[in-house]
Amino acid sequence: MAADYWASTQRRHWQFSREALAEIRQKLEDDDRALVQQYPLPDRRFLSHFFNLQLAKLGKKFMIRQQALATAQIYIRRFYSKVEIRRTNPYLVLATAFYLACKMEECPQHIRMVVSESRQLWPDFIISDVSKLGECEFYLISEMNSQLIIHHPYRTLQSLQNTLSMAQDDTSLAWSIINDHYMTDLPLLYPPHVIAVTAIFLALTLKPTQAGLQAAASTAAALSSTTLMPKDQPGSGNGVLNTQQKKVQNLVSWLAEGEIDIQSAVECSQEIISLYDVLEQYNEKTCKEQIGRFVKARGLEK
Amino acid sequence: MFPYSNHAVVPPSFLRNRFDNGITPEHDDPFPNSPESDSPESSTTGSVCLDPDCHEPHSSESDYPTTDTTEPEYIDPGLREPHSHGVFFVTESSEARKMPPTNGYTSKVRVLDRYKVVGFISSGTYGRVYKAVGHNGMAGEFAIKKFKPDKEGETIQYTGISQSACREMALCSELSHPNMIHLVEIILEDKCIFMVFEYAEHDLLQIIQHHSQPTRHPILASAVRSILFQLLNGLLYLHTNWVLHRDLKPANIMVTSKGEVRIGDLGLARLFYKPLHSLFSGDKVVVTIWYRAPELLLGSKHYTPAVDLWAVGCIFAELLSLRPIFKGEEAKMDSKKTVPFQKNQMQKIVEILGMPTRDKWPGLIHQAEYGQLQTLSSYVREGNNGKSGLESWYWNTLRSTGYQDSPPSVTPGQQGLDLLSKLLEYDPEKRLTAEQALQHPYFTANGEKVSANCFEGMSTQYPSRRVSQDDNDIRTSSLPGTKRNGFPDDSLAGRPTKRMKD
Repeated sequence: MAADYWASTQRRHWQFSREALAEIRQKLEDDDRALVQQYPLPDRRFLSHFFNLQLAKLGKKFMIRQQALATAQIYIRRFYSKVEIRRTNPYLVLATAFYLACKMEECPQHIRMVVSESRQLWPDFIISDVSKLGECEFYLISEMNSQLIIHHPYRTLQSLQNTLSMAQDDTSLAWSIINDHYMTDLPLLYPPHVIAVTAIFLALTLKPTQAGLQAAASTAAALSSTTLMPKDQPGSGNGVLNTQQKKVQNLVSWLAEGEIDIQSAVECSQEIISLYDVLEQYNEKTCKEQIGRFVKARGLEK
Repeated sequence: MFPYSNHAVVPPSFLRNRFDNGITPEHDDPFPNSPESDSPESSTTGSVCLDPDCHEPHSSESDYPTTDTTEPEYIDPGLREPHSHGVFFVTESSEARKMPPTNGYTSKVRVLDRYKVVGFISSGTYGRVYKAVGHNGMAGEFAIKKFKPDKEGETIQYTGISQSACREMALCSELSHPNMIHLVEIILEDKCIFMVFEYAEHDLLQIIQHHSQPTRHPILASAVRSILFQLLNGLLYLHTNWVLHRDLKPANIMVTSKGEVRIGDLGLARLFYKPLHSLFSGDKVVVTIWYRAPELLLGSKHYTPAVDLWAVGCIFAELLSLRPIFKGEEAKMDSKKTVPFQKNQMQKIVEILGMPTRDKWPGLIHQAEYGQLQTLSSYVREGNNGKSGLESWYWNTLRSTGYQDSPPSVTPGQQGLDLLSKLLEYDPEKRLTAEQALQHPYFTANGEKVSANCFEGMSTQYPSRRVSQDDNDIRTSSLPGTKRNGFPDDSLAGRPTKRMKD
């Protein structure tokens, strides 16, 4: 359903267990073993980060809002869970996902504009023929089974910011953490509200203040205990809670009352934290070269 | 243990970068409706009805305005396959199929492998609809909507899928409800999109027409009640899921042979959850003119699900009278593509409902075309005997269509009038919602249950949908496309068409 995540195709068809996703990817590689061995690629998160940056460049040219870019990133991730990347021109897939996402997020852009702006950004990989992008659109939609409506965590964040009396800063930080989660597999693994809660949790606890860290530690402890009760909330030993701690406590109480799967939220947090860690090693040049190599060698840009 | 206790602070540079990329969280698109938006058919207009006062019952479907613009000279390249009789889709040349599958797109499923097309149903701007049966023992009948491929010169090209086709594909894939037309699958093949739906034998337009000929005879009151209930039920589902239909009219409401009502054609539908810009900026004109709500006619930028409820009111009235209640004439878009005030349509409404007033509709003065209303005042027809205009229209209609006054089961009665007047309420904020309408005593008044089969207890059998099996017939339809099989096209009949779309 369009508004109901529980009945959505996203939940029914595009949410996997880690094992299932790994299996799908393994099969994809096994089917193209030679290709995969011939053209090594960086860690998937580096690739995703690379795509993210490229998409942002394209988005900036059209002043496209974040949510459309997020949708495009999901399309790309879904597509590459069905199609071996080395059989495609990732730049064309990117531009196409962008073009399609803009239509679905009600900010349509003309196909000619998308092609010409893409060509300016990636002149070696995009030719000025719009029919290439049009064809790729068929490919994308077909692989996604026309399931194009995406539920994003932004909506949950917006509806929770008041409930949890978050400051504007907290919300912005959570928002940007959500932006970053598109570089991971989390969108294929967890429902959007779990991701939103994770982002809120991280935003409230990652504040580089001593208080924030204490709160984080205590919340983490609380979260990992199975008998989570808000009243047992530790970490308030001195009896004076600062505002940040109060917010975290709000969140913990709210989590305890709700139906949110806390274990999932914990796993999400870990994934996001390790993303930030891994991305310290990001090297754009490597991504560019390795993608360029198979595209050029196989003539996929033509 | 939680990892980041020893992870202290996440690279803040990373987070900061997110804010520096010029893409702020809720950045509104500054070009929401760029002049070059994606539709190949934007803003085409059709011809104008030459006979504003025609009060004939519909003699043919060609009488109806559509949200589509009709296109001259659309020859469907997929109509005929030289060697197989009765097959309407042509698949691409074998040459194209031999292309290496690496880069290009090849469909894994071929529509003709799965379905046998048995006839042609109708056509519109979007393309054509065919009737089909399944191959390989797949049970049932299907309606296949084939979107028209774009052509550049002689060859079909990929030119990007129109936004409305994208919406329809995505929404139909997502939605599922007993009162919505059921999507079976979508096949993207040879630059064409085929949406395969369950087949519905009837639609409300066809049923209304059946009752207009040869002489007018009313649709059973219990059937009207069932149809309306099912329609509202489907609409409630759409609205609960934040979907506006925006093109409800008799032709888009299907009825299966079991009497189940199915809302169809989501070509203009869209999500309205917190839109980033006004809905108006996306699609300048929505809803076929006769079913278009007053707030749309008056230029409202932020319309709501209430526009669909107005259309339901119009459809209810039409089921009772067998004629469109507000049969206005559409003013065409001028060359500058500004949306004209639909004076004639508004006038038709005012003639029956009276002038809207600020008392009854406080938001009235904020409507863009408020000033234009003054030009209509002279057309107001007074209700007689102290009855409101709608009230006298209603009772006159029941009498002239042939509804008996008693027993209560055979007439839509006083409750019908009450419901109708609350659907045809000027103020969109006061107009009933789908949920409220379903609670209306009209549906429970006689203590009778509303049947899920609108044909229950009916002796008449409606004729099956007309389906053409004649190859020649279809070829000749390359003149302005046959709107529906057997009827001349809209453009030939000289009728209002409308839609300008995304």
